[in-house]
Amino acid sequence: MESVVAGVIIAIIKILVILGIVLGVGAYLTWVERKVAAHIQRRPGPMVVGWHGLLQPLADGLKLITKEDLFPRYGNKFLYNLAIVLALVPATLVFAVVPFGPEFELFGYKIKPILTDVNVGLLLVFGLGSLAVYAIAIAGWASNSKYPLIGSMRKAGIIISYEVVITFAVMGPLILAGTLSTYEIVQKQIEQNLWYVWVQPVAFVVFMFALLAETGRVPFDIQEAEAELVTGFTVEYGGMKFGLFPLVEWYVEVLSLSAIAVVLFFGGWSPINIPFVGFVDPLFFLGPFSPYAWFLLKVTLLFLFILWLHWTLPRYRIDQITETAWKIMLPLTLINIVFTAVIAPVVWG
Amino acid sequence: MPWAKAEDFIDLKERFPELEIVEAKNETSLHVKKENLIELLKELKNRGFKLFIDHSVVDLKELLEKEKDYRNAVKEKLIAFPEDRISRFQAFYILYNVDERKRVIVKTRTEGKLPTIEKLWFAGKWAERECYDMFGIDYEGHENLVRAFMWDTYPYFPLRKDFPLEGFPEQDLPSLNEVLWGDKLEGTMNYERKHTIVPTLEDLEITEKRRLKKKAQIVLNWGPLHPGTHGTMWFLFDLEGERIVQADVILGQLHRGVEKLAENEMYNQFLVYTDRMDYLSALCSNQAWVVAVERMLGIEDDVPEKAKFIRTMMSELQRINSHLLWLGTYALDLGALTIFLYAFKEREKIMDILEGITGARLTISYPRVGGVRMDLPEGALEVIKAFIKRFPRELDDWERILTRNRIWLRRNKEVGVISPEDAYFYGVTGPVIRGSGIPYDMRKLEPYDAYSEVEFDIPVGETGDCYDRYLVRMEEMRQSVRIIEQCVARLERMPKDAPFFAEVPKEKKIKLTIDGIGLKVPMGDIYSSGENPRGELGFYVFSTGGVKPYRVKVRPPSYYNLCIYPYLMKDRVIADAVTVLASIDPVVGETDR
Repeated sequence: MESVVAGVIIAIIKILVILGIVLGVGAYLTWVERKVAAHIQRRPGPMVVGWHGLLQPLADGLKLITKEDLFPRYGNKFLYNLAIVLALVPATLVFAVVPFGPEFELFGYKIKPILTDVNVGLLLVFGLGSLAVYAIAIAGWASNSKYPLIGSMRKAGIIISYEVVITFAVMGPLILAGTLSTYEIVQKQIEQNLWYVWVQPVAFVVFMFALLAETGRVPFDIQEAEAELVTGFTVEYGGMKFGLFPLVEWYVEVLSLSAIAVVLFFGGWSPINIPFVGFVDPLFFLGPFSPYAWFLLKVTLLFLFILWLHWTLPRYRIDQITETAWKIMLPLTLINIVFTAVIAPVVWG
Repeated sequence: MPWAKAEDFIDLKERFPELEIVEAKNETSLHVKKENLIELLKELKNRGFKLFIDHSVVDLKELLEKEKDYRNAVKEKLIAFPEDRISRFQAFYILYNVDERKRVIVKTRTEGKLPTIEKLWFAGKWAERECYDMFGIDYEGHENLVRAFMWDTYPYFPLRKDFPLEGFPEQDLPSLNEVLWGDKLEGTMNYERKHTIVPTLEDLEITEKRRLKKKAQIVLNWGPLHPGTHGTMWFLFDLEGERIVQADVILGQLHRGVEKLAENEMYNQFLVYTDRMDYLSALCSNQAWVVAVERMLGIEDDVPEKAKFIRTMMSELQRINSHLLWLGTYALDLGALTIFLYAFKEREKIMDILEGITGARLTISYPRVGGVRMDLPEGALEVIKAFIKRFPRELDDWERILTRNRIWLRRNKEVGVISPEDAYFYGVTGPVIRGSGIPYDMRKLEPYDAYSEVEFDIPVGETGDCYDRYLVRMEEMRQSVRIIEQCVARLERMPKDAPFFAEVPKEKKIKLTIDGIGLKVPMGDIYSSGENPRGELGFYVFSTGGVKPYRVKVRPPSYYNLCIYPYLMKDRVIADAVTVLASIDPVVGETDR
């Protein structure tokens, strides 16, 4: 009985911590993005609200919340609001299976810093990722307008293509780890002294492409495409409802998929890896916090990499994106699976 | 000079007995009866006059009523078939022979009906729509004779001489004060409540329906206010999925009747309207207008060298400025957000230079008939030198991001291909025709100001797709830097107190001042053009003497460049719509005038 109560309390604490981190960080990533973009573009970015614009996200949030809630005539109100929920919930739920660090003991309780270590963790990630398409398709449909409809159909087309690709891409690491649990995948990498990116570079590149496509980042941001579709499926949304879509797509989803990429390819919380030899930890002085620092660092670097791409490259056309998915990415991942099957016994030792 | 000679057409007399060949001091014109017009144009096209420049109409109503002026005009051979005193309109067609570098103008008279030339030149179709809109000329056989600028239920023809400048006040439009508070405004605030008619929503709906018959799934209204259209243009796309089955453009949201205004302004007063046509390259438009008037006055050679070099240098700066805005928005349309800010930063520097020299940033009106408004201020040349030293390096940086970028290539290559034949057929000019491999550049073909004394190359493309047009414009900026360098070098060598405004010899009897008030231009007509960043900006000026022109026809490069757009958009996706539109680079102030 006591252990059940403790388990519930621990779970609630975990939920609060993760939600706090994800949504809080998500909001503040808007500031990071604006600063990074500004410095890429040789300008200072937000400077007025707070020190170096640090309070800017709060001001933006306040502005969005106090805005008038507009609703398009002849739209479907239920679906219109449902789309927001459908966008936010699955994207946040992904963090339930993201392992932040190794197991530790506190007051005699063994705690894993992961909300639920289910043994189908990765399947859950992709299942929830696919749900995002419903949010966008419904948002486009419920708005009763042509621009959102075109934008959402584009996005649906991309997600369908890249869901297939991403699933095949993670097949490689899965074969090497022999498990679907995210926590176990990291453990395996530490046991095998190997970040999977060293033997799965192709899978990693494909995964990154799919990440960009699913989150709608440049060069795959065609569902937004300011110049053609104004902002795609969010045209008819206003106020905080409008603010939520980019928050979810550009920050929460990018964060969650970056975290999954780190788990799959960069050994989660493990320090720098020398293949098949061991791990070197320049951050050893942080003691028990070193794994968290590593995890954070890797996710941050991936996120910054995505920002860098976003503010440099032009965007593809829809037919070119799906063409790349089906004609280049998919065959590549299939070859990669064969290649993995060959080298797997070596990795398993 | 780029005009054809009379002897080129002597043999045509056999086929067209009533043909008159007139070699005036400004131009060569062929006068033909309208029954033979199509035959003659077809013959000219076969002889190499392939590029359609312009077509419009002069309303002779006022001239026909004034006996003395009419006799003078006949003496100057301004009017085709002067014995015909009933036909009210004189139509003119300007054609260009690119291979032999010759231009010719064909004139004919009509009472209100003309045969259509849409089979010969598509651009003629748009020109005819404009004439129908403005003069009510009926084109027999025209496929889709709808108004070009006004809405389709508009009852008048504004450029006719019997249409008053202020229009017909017939619609009650009270001010907001009156509507909300019933204020009765007195004194100077008590303006006329009656206004000229404005279109209602029903009018616009009728206009939209007449342009495009729906064939596919949805008709997407792209504009009039849309970030991708670079202004207030209204595109209609008939979509099958994302594929565009047919497209059309509704222009006129920015129509201000510049040509009507020109008939009621002095030559120098019209200068400020040229700023507001192509507002991104005000100096180039100014220059083209000023040169046209100078040519008409015959004082082109009297303009001091310093003024010529200043004008050339400034309009090249403006060209870079304009191309930078194009580059920024083009990259922005294709999703490369950062280039936009890079380009605008450099553009800001040019704007500051222009502001320092002329006092204005956007609508500049710096050149004057006979020179420039004022001398260069102290240190202007040093600033320009510093800018052109740094600018090519910036350009190289941007090219490193874009030119060999795979995504950039895939978005631009083989998109919006214009073959040389299409370029002639649609009458495109400027970087668009040069992208198709035709070295058509007014600065070389008909050098005005100091262009004959500076060295520069004309970049041309190979396949005529968006990528070629991109490369052409990028190279043009480098060539502009070259021209500016030479101009600065020449200007530095000139003495400080060299004149910047023309001293006209007394025997010419021209009252030339900087403010230009009372400047009388002799009777005659001229077609003179300058190379704008967007293409050939031409002015057809028809003067009956006096301080005001009788008729000014502006040849807007954007208008004719845009007419190829619906053709290019056929069977492409919406994502290409922005690419192609931005690579054509229209400015709405100019298409609509």
